[in-house]
Order: sequence, then structure tokens, then C-alpha cells
Amino acid sequence: MRLTLSIILGMAISVMATADGRADPAAGKKVFDDKKCTECHYTDGPAKEKTIADQLAKKGPELWYAGSKFQKKWLGKWLKDPKPIRAMAYNSMTEKNKGDHPKMSGGDAKAVTEFLMTLTSDAVKAGVIKPKKSAKGRLVFTKKMPCSGCHLFPAKKRAKFKGGLSGPSLVGARKRLNPDWIFAYLMTPEVFKPVKSMPVFVGFLKEKEMKNVAAYVANFK
Amino acid sequence: MKRLIQFATVLAILGMGVAGPAGAEDTEAVYKFYCAQCHGLTGKGDGPNVSKDFPVSPRNFTNAKEMDKLTDADMKNVILDGGPAASKSPMMPPWSKTLSEADVVGLIKHIRKLCACKGKQG
Ligand code: HEC
Ligand code: HEC
Ligand code: HEC
Repeated sequence: MRLTLSIILGMAISVMATADGRADPAAGKKVFDDKKCTECHYTDGPAKEKTIADQLAKKGPELWYAGSKFQKKWLGKWLKDPKPIRAMAYNSMTEKNKGDHPKMSGGDAKAVTEFLMTLTSDAVKAGVIKPKKSAKGRLVFTKKMPCSGCHLFPAKKRAKFKGGLSGPSLVGARKRLNPDWIFAYLMTPEVFKPVKSMPVFVGFLKEKEMKNVAAYVANFK
Repeated sequence: MKRLIQFATVLAILGMGVAGPAGAEDTEAVYKFYCAQCHGLTGKGDGPNVSKDFPVSPRNFTNAKEMDKLTDADMKNVILDGGPAASKSPMMPPWSKTLSEADVVGLIKHIRKLCACKGKQG
């Protein structure tokens, strides 16, 4: 009896929480499962990929550290109105991204955002990187290292952006990515993406250079 | 639906078995995963990154005449430490922290297959 009562009470509270617009993470997780987001994204870390075949078998990017990687405001908006991030279809060298990512309603997007933002990684230290127009970061990105060969980034001249297509676009990184995550990813790529077609730069770039390039990327409009 | 998932899982497991570790297919997988982005799936230097604003054209591995100018050791040096190690463009990335020694040896063999050339000896 007591059990049923507390279940009913629990249900009532969760219903209230959603009705009130304050979506809770548990409700978001349920939406995530119900909408079959799990068919293409895994949310339980640590990273599972061990071989190239593991990476190629994935149908979408891993989301187990989404709360450390993304900015909450961007995430909520993108889930409602997803615009292509990668120029190429996921894991493809030949097909373009069709821009057919499932869309969510406003309420669902809000709930799922609450859920995804709870998924964080200890490897990301907060408050290390401040986005800025770093001349030293620019030098690394465009001259010293081949970053621009694989990533779109904002350009000054006529074209809105330029760069390579095999990596995710970094245009708008200022709104999309957590600056501290960018730095953590460059320093400890094996934690987040043990198998990826981006080279490991640890040992080729000093920590200071990693900070500069992270601050530069985090400032991309 | 459940059936379908089970079927897909079985397929995936079978697929993984075929890919397996090491072996000839594996080197090709390594090439396609890391190098094809710029050098192209068939080595013609026409990967998805190579647009009109790409500053230098990535080596066309099917050009036997050009590829014959390089020794295997030249190739290894550039693959491990990147273009600047051989006074070439930094658009050719360094891979020594990403790939194993065996991967690099396999890649050199694979590139020699693409150019059907032996390369400069010694
Ligand atoms: C058919 C596979 C598929 C399904 C189903 C799917 N996604 Fe995705 N998802 C992708 C792919 C592929 C991308 C990369 C899109 C891009 O780069 O434009 C992506 C990107 C994302 C991203 C951004 C990740 C990043 O690193 O850029 C989020 C967040 C996301 N999906 C959430 C969801 C949610 C929530 C659902 C459930 C409604 C969902 N996805 C369903 C394939 C899928
Ligand atoms: C050879 C191509 C290549 C080069 C060179 C390269 N990247 Fe990447 N980068 C990628 C790919 C591919 C991914 C996506 C990996 C994945 O999710 O599996 C990526 C991911 C990233 C991400 C995360 C983006 C996201 O939304 O998930 C950042 C940030 C990044 N790269 C920055 C850099 C910087 C800075 C450099 C230069 C120091 C660089 N990259 C050089 C291919 C490259
Ligand atoms: C970001 C693009 C990019 C990626 C990815 C890339 N390369 Fe290159 N590579 C280049 C460019 C550009 C050149 C030409 C450099 C020059 O001529 O200055 C080149 C040149 C080469 C050369 C010839 C060097 C010489 O001395 O002429 C070899 C060998 C080579 N790459 C091997 C590889 C291998 C193996 C991989 C994969 C592990 C790879 N590359 C991945 C861009 C790339």
C-alpha cells in the first residue's frame, strides 16, 4: 500500500515537473529511448571503440560526454532544428551529409537537453580556456598544423567559410562547443575518441600551443 | 523490430569477425580511414578535403613517375613526422602518435601497390 502510494506520489511529482516546463533528466532519458535515439548514439561511457571497424559500425557520434562537449543553449536549439555539422555523411568519404537528422518537438528537445547535459566527463577541467582571437592559435590552425585541411572554419573574405570537409565543421564553435572540452579533447583524445581519422597532436604541439589553438577555435563565429 | 535488431547484431558480429585484426584487408582499412580524406580512396589525391582552396595538392599515389623518386624510408619519414620533416607542406599531417609501426609499414606497401612502382632504392 505504502509502495503504491509513493509510486503514485512519484508519478505525480514527475508529471508536475514536466507540466511546469522544468523538464527533468529522467524524463529526457525516457524520450531519448522512446524516440530510438539509441539506435545511432550511445550514452554510457567510457569510450567503447577499439578498432576502425568499431568506429565504422557507429551510425552517429557518441554522446556519453555530451554535457561536457556542448553548450546547453545550442543543444536545445539544434535538437529542434538540426542543421548539418559534418559536411560528409557520417563515416563516409564519398557521400555528402543529407541533412536528414531526426527533428524533435520543443518539449522533447528540452527534456533531452536536460538529460544529455547530465552526461559529463571528469577529463574536462572547467575554466581553463577563454575563447579569443589568438594570433598564435591562428598560426597553429592555419600554418603549422593541417587543422584547416580537414575542418571548415570562418573566413574573412568573400566566402563565408573555407577549409576541408572530412572533419566536423568548426564554423560556429563559439556557440556549439565548450572551450574547455576542445582543450581536453586535444590533450587526451584517447578518452573521448580512441579511434578517429584526426591525427593525435600530443607530442607535436606543446601544452601552451594546445591552449592557444583551443582558444582560437572556441572563438569561431 | 526486435527480430530485425537481433538480425542486425548477428550481422555486425559476423562483420567484425571478417574484418579481424591484422592482414591485408586491414592495411586497406587503415589507408581508407586515415589517408583517403586527402589522398582519395584510390590514391589519386582527390579526397573530400581537396577543394579549390586546398593549398597544395596531396601526392597522387598512382603517379608512378613521381612516386619512383621516393624511397620507402622517405615515405616513412614523412608519414611519421609530417610534411615539414621533408621540407614539404604541413598539410601532410604527422602520424607517429596515431599509427603503429606495423600500420606504417603496411601503408608503405599499400602505396607501392597503388603506384605499381618499387621506388628509389637505398
Ligand atoms: C539514423 C541515425 C540517427 C538517429 C536515429 C539519431 N541520430 Fe543524432 N546524429 C546522427 C548523425 C549521423 C549525427 C551527425 C550529424 C551531423 O554531423 O550533421 C548526429 C548528431 C547528433 C548530435 C550532435 C552530436 C555531435 O557530436 O555533433 C546530437 C546531440 C544528436 N545527434 C542527438 C540525437 C537525438 C536526441 C536523437 C533522437 C531523436 C538522435 N540524435 C537520433 C545520427 C542519428
Ligand atoms: C586529417 C584530418 C584532420 C586534421 C588534420 C585535424 N582534424 Fe580535427 N577532426 C577530424 C575528424 C575526422 C574529427 C571527428 C572525429 C570523430 O568524431 O570521430 C575531428 C574532430 C575535431 C574536433 C571536435 C569537433 C566535434 O564537433 O566533434 C575539434 C575541436 C578538432 N577536430 C580540432 C582540430 C584541430 C585544432 C586540429 C589541428 C591541430 C585538427 N582538428 C586537425 C579531422 C582532422
Ligand atoms: C590533411 C590531408 C592529408 C592527409 C590526411 C594525409 N596526407 Fe599525405 N600528403 C598531404 C599533402 C598535402 C601532401 C603533399 C605535400 C607537399 O607536396 O608539399 C602529402 C604527401 C604525402 C606523401 C609524399 C611525401 C613526399 O615526400 O612527396 C606521402 C608518402 C603521404 N602523403 C602519405 C600519407 C599517408 C600514408 C597518409 C595516411 C596515414 C596521409 N598521407 C594522410 C596531405 C595529407
